[in-house]
Amino acid sequence: MKAPLSFVLNGSNVTAEADGSTRLLDLLRVSLNHTGTKGGCGEGECGACTVLVDGLAVNSCLYPALEVEGKHVTTIEGLRTIDNKLSIVQQAFVDTSGIQCGFCTPGMIMTAKALLDNNPDPTDEEIREVLLGNLCRCTGYVQIVESIKTAASRLKENR
Amino acid sequence: MKDFRHIGKDIPRPEAPDKAAGKAVYIHDLVRPGMLFGKIKFSDHAHARILRIDTSKAEKLPGVKAVITAYNTPELRIGFVRDNFALKKDKVRQFRDEVAAVAAIDPHTAAEAVGLIKVEYEPIPGVFSPEEAMEPGAPLVHETDPRGRPMKDNRHPLHYHHESGDVKAGEKAAKFVAQGEFSTQLVQQCCMGTAGCIAEFDMNNNLTMWAKTQIPFLAQRDFNQALSAMGLQNKNTRVIVPTLGGGFGTGLDTHAYEYIAILLAFRTGKPVKIVYTRDEEFANLSPRQSSRTKIIQGCDKNGKLTFRHAEVLQDNGAYTSWGATYPTVMMMPATSLYRVSNVYFDAKLVYTNNTYCQAMRGYGNPEFTWALENNMDQLAEKAEIDPFEFRMINCNQPGETTPMGLKVSTCGLKECMESVAGKLNWKKSRSQKKQRGIGMASLIHVGGGGRIYRSDGSGLILKLDDFGNVNTYCGGVEMGQGLHAVLILEIAEALGVQPEKVFINPTDTGTCPWDVGTHASRGAFMAGNTAIMAAKKLRDQIFEHAEQLFPELAAKNLKKYQKKHPDYAPPDFDIKQAAKRDRFDLVDGFVFLKDAPSEPWTRIELGALLRAIHFREQGQMLATEVFYDPPNELPDFEKGYGNMSATYAYGAQGVEVEVDTETGEVKILRMVAAHDVGRVLNPPALKGQIYGGLAQGVGYALYEQLQSERGRITNPNFRDYKIPTAHEMDFPIELDLIETNDQFGPFGAKGIAEPGLVPTAPAIANAIYNAVGVRIRDLPITPEKILAALEKLKSTKD
Amino acid sequence: MSRMDYYKPTSLDEAWKLKKLIPGSRFIAGGTDILVKIKNREVSPPALISLRSISELTGIQSGNVTRIGAMTTISELIQHRALAVKYPVLVEAAGRLGSVQIRNVATVGGNLCNCSPCADTALPLLVLEARVLLQSPGKEREVPLNEFFVGPGESCIAAGEILTAILLDRPAPDAQATSLKKGRVKMDLAIASVAALLEMDGKNCKKARLAAGSVAPVPLRLYQVEELLENGPITKAKLAEAQKLAVKSISPITDVRSTDNYRRQIVSVYVKRCLEKLMGGNP
Ligand SMILES: Cc1cc2nc3c(=O)[nH]c(=O)nc-3n(C[C@H](O)[C@H](O)[C@H](O)COP(=O)(O)OP(=O)(O)OC[C@H]3O[C@@H](n4cnc5c(N)ncnc54)[C@H](O)[C@@H]3O)c2cc1C
Ligand code: FES
Ligand code: FES
Repeated sequence: MKAPLSFVLNGSNVTAEADGSTRLLDLLRVSLNHTGTKGGCGEGECGACTVLVDGLAVNSCLYPALEVEGKHVTTIEGLRTIDNKLSIVQQAFVDTSGIQCGFCTPGMIMTAKALLDNNPDPTDEEIREVLLGNLCRCTGYVQIVESIKTAASRLKENR
Repeated sequence: MKDFRHIGKDIPRPEAPDKAAGKAVYIHDLVRPGMLFGKIKFSDHAHARILRIDTSKAEKLPGVKAVITAYNTPELRIGFVRDNFALKKDKVRQFRDEVAAVAAIDPHTAAEAVGLIKVEYEPIPGVFSPEEAMEPGAPLVHETDPRGRPMKDNRHPLHYHHESGDVKAGEKAAKFVAQGEFSTQLVQQCCMGTAGCIAEFDMNNNLTMWAKTQIPFLAQRDFNQALSAMGLQNKNTRVIVPTLGGGFGTGLDTHAYEYIAILLAFRTGKPVKIVYTRDEEFANLSPRQSSRTKIIQGCDKNGKLTFRHAEVLQDNGAYTSWGATYPTVMMMPATSLYRVSNVYFDAKLVYTNNTYCQAMRGYGNPEFTWALENNMDQLAEKAEIDPFEFRMINCNQPGETTPMGLKVSTCGLKECMESVAGKLNWKKSRSQKKQRGIGMASLIHVGGGGRIYRSDGSGLILKLDDFGNVNTYCGGVEMGQGLHAVLILEIAEALGVQPEKVFINPTDTGTCPWDVGTHASRGAFMAGNTAIMAAKKLRDQIFEHAEQLFPELAAKNLKKYQKKHPDYAPPDFDIKQAAKRDRFDLVDGFVFLKDAPSEPWTRIELGALLRAIHFREQGQMLATEVFYDPPNELPDFEKGYGNMSATYAYGAQGVEVEVDTETGEVKILRMVAAHDVGRVLNPPALKGQIYGGLAQGVGYALYEQLQSERGRITNPNFRDYKIPTAHEMDFPIELDLIETNDQFGPFGAKGIAEPGLVPTAPAIANAIYNAVGVRIRDLPITPEKILAALEKLKSTKD
Repeated sequence: MSRMDYYKPTSLDEAWKLKKLIPGSRFIAGGTDILVKIKNREVSPPALISLRSISELTGIQSGNVTRIGAMTTISELIQHRALAVKYPVLVEAAGRLGSVQIRNVATVGGNLCNCSPCADTALPLLVLEARVLLQSPGKEREVPLNEFFVGPGESCIAAGEILTAILLDRPAPDAQATSLKKGRVKMDLAIASVAALLEMDGKNCKKARLAAGSVAPVPLRLYQVEELLENGPITKAKLAEAQKLAVKSISPITDVRSTDNYRRQIVSVYVKRCLEKLMGGNP
């Protein structure tokens, strides 16, 4: 039985339908055509599906769609600035070569954003700890960690 | 050294912003109008006869558009020895055998329908190791070979052999001998984006395939053959490559799921998409080949290698894909890493009821280097020579021709090893306090293409437009390695335009020139050489037209300039006279005469010149197509001889570890990687390749193993198949990029995509041995194995 | 995943009613266990009854008895100041559970009710002698955690009962506890883990509580080891004896993650390391 559902997606009110088997990941990718969020494993291990729900990073593959009722969901599509530029975190990944195949990238960036929102000055170790739930097969993580550090220092300059 | 304007510069990848924005379109994101979703029913047995397949229930499920089996579709043989079929008839030979498939309106319905297909089997005993498979009377995986001749046993028809010098004499000359048996495991490539495709027919029965492939043109050939087998004579496939969520070798062959999508699309008249789930990817995609290697080497009293003897045995699995050809690459380190003139190499393959294998980064090289570099340390110990010194004594040199006939143009191995030893503070670090140790290992790899097929060629089309843009069509595949960024730099450098003016079009067999495939670290090497060829042709065309058009344009320019600067008096120079095609140059998008004084009006913007060429009577548009096939040879692999690559990449890696002797845990404290890269083309992309290779090497060394029980994969998920996370890779990595400026390489560069993985595992193993005195011979080096070895060591000492 | 209904009751009463009404339905908390099981077709309930909107299940009250609502997420747990001061071992162990993304939704109630032998919060809660509050319509019972786990995936929770809270007594002033977890990589289910609590009176061990994970059908209290250690000084010899007893008390298996032998070894080493740490390195 599908139930109606309304929530705030990247700042806009949206309505949709879902049942108990609908994952937030499906809701975003299939029903709402937001394919920026990727699915890599469907069981919380890879982090490709990471989105923010009320500011917290979660695996959208393990998040029942019906639980976002009334909540704020932020996806990679919601990070661009009003004038359609990449956000500081996204741009840092581009500039610091934190992106190879790019499949892990939306999830990485969402995790990084959640981290930097709460901890503007993370240590290397804190960055690596927070990335435990985001697998990347291409980069060996070196340039991803550098990207997040670049983002942190640029965010600081902007403040 | 020549100064480059663009080569060696940091430029961000052209596709990175879209990837960062979530806008890049992967196969998972691609939708075609009316598209159906395909799903495959895999075997429930490792080895069984198929008695009956009942699809009636699945067919009746609302939303199901087609259910196919080998019994209601044309037979499609696949694989390069044709021992495999898209859908299996009569018999299954492994758990991943495809027995039926469904197309339905959504993934959910397709999955439900697959669950409704009932297959009756009569199980047959299986064989799950080469030993079991070779026992007299063992059940046959294939009763007949692809040509229908009866098979006597499970031996695979492919066989690889090399003999050079006089191994017997080498044995006699040896003062010290060391031997060992080393094995490597099945490893899954673990692309973060799983495999998938969309197949769609037009009304003329031509096929379009959106495929996660690294070989669009060989795939086109394969798919066209399938169309013929389906009775669609003279029909064509257009292969389009969407953004790839990683490659690492998974896209080097065509896959049963692709043919099944084709069959379903043809049956339904609709586009059909098949995308593997992660479990399906783990269980059903061909992983890295496993191997077992017996190696013996000897050296004289001065440490000079006198012979090398190696035998490889591979569990081929049930069918044949590129895993069966790993020995073609193994031969390279076997014959050519370090100088040794008496070599015996032999590799055999055996069919079993396990999963079959295909390419992954390094392609046989990590497997053999694992054995070789462990054995080098063993032999050094026997000879009581420091392992670094020992390697230096036997170091390869530029200009040599190796026993396999590899012609070494440039070779930075010595510099690489010295760099590693220096950075690790070798002598001191070798004798540290207990439980800490260092180790090193080296590598040779193809760095100038790798001819394992009739052609090792790549094409490139450059099409100039009215705006001075360079529209590029390249048959190579960007899969995250940074090919496009490098190609842009190479074209900008060779042609003389700004990188922003170079645009790369999606890889599409309908528009791009032929390319054998993106493998063997050949992408940047090949692209660079084609860029240089194409640029030369284009520049010739441009300058030829400039003879006529340049003076006019310059005159116009001058007029404009004088209007703005009325006092300006042009220098005395006859442009018309000087405008000879061989006197022009093109730099940063401006055409000018080399001898002309450098005045603002004597530089013509390329776009302006191109427009002048276009918009006139008998106007022309400029474009060029080139095809580069590198100067290398297709080796005779049964003799093991031939110069397979135009040049070779070398490197050495060192690692420092700490071993917890109570828990067996290995902590990597730091790594150094020194690679002879020929020339650095794009530093961030190059570093990214090495870091990524290292991480995969660390996974290979310490964590990863696709486990199976009687042919069934038992850890088909990231919960139980562990790849390194940012935490496991939390140690300093020092890179040293050594530029040897190779004469065959574009701008001196060599291919460098695979080397980072190759020596990582043996370097770690050697460091562990240095730390605690145990040598683990079977990958991965788990804490369990280290503890067991330590126990054994203790009991032999007691 | 086959089609499922989803209910979001806002009170315990409503949840119980739904549970009774829909045979085979399951409660879902953070969903990080049950959704994976559903995906892998280990279970296929016709409906899920979400506990997320039931306010009675949330919140942490720190007092003489600390009450942790079952729906407290692991992230909330490890960020809670009072808990970090009073029960650092719980915060330490919970911090090793999964990834940030998992901890942001996984609940402590779910971790216990899932009854996995590797549950990361179970060990510290066992050595802290936590009790769980189980409620059903009109009924409420307090069960010591060591009696809660019955078998793999099985607890003493009755059908329709809901674990509403975890109760912890104020720790003894001289009690100290620590824990260790071994995974294949850092982000992993434990292949073996140990938690230990000691209450020392000078050299004399007044109280010892130990537990081991992933080495038996349930998260296991090591009673024999506790007995050995209590009422006397912990000497080197006793420590060695404790390691042996710990190994005797467990029944590890070999699976895709590790071997029985290795798990024994880890328990032995971790018992030693935990105890040594608690004694400041001088047994
Ligand atoms: C990627 C990943 C990594 C993980 N890593 C770890 C790890 O390192 N350590 C670890 O211990 N676990 C780990 N887990 C498992 C899981 O995250 C934890 O067990 C988590 O605490 C479960 O909580 P939950 O709220 O998500 O439970 P749910 O999945 O919602 O529920 C689990 C079970 O308990 C029942 N249930 C839940 N709450 C109640 C209640 N209040 N009353 C009655 N029944 C209830 C449900 O019906 C269900 O059967 C991991 C899981 C994933 C997906
Ligand atoms: S898809 Fe959600 S964690 Fe992998
Ligand atoms: S960039 Fe490819 S997985 Fe991270």
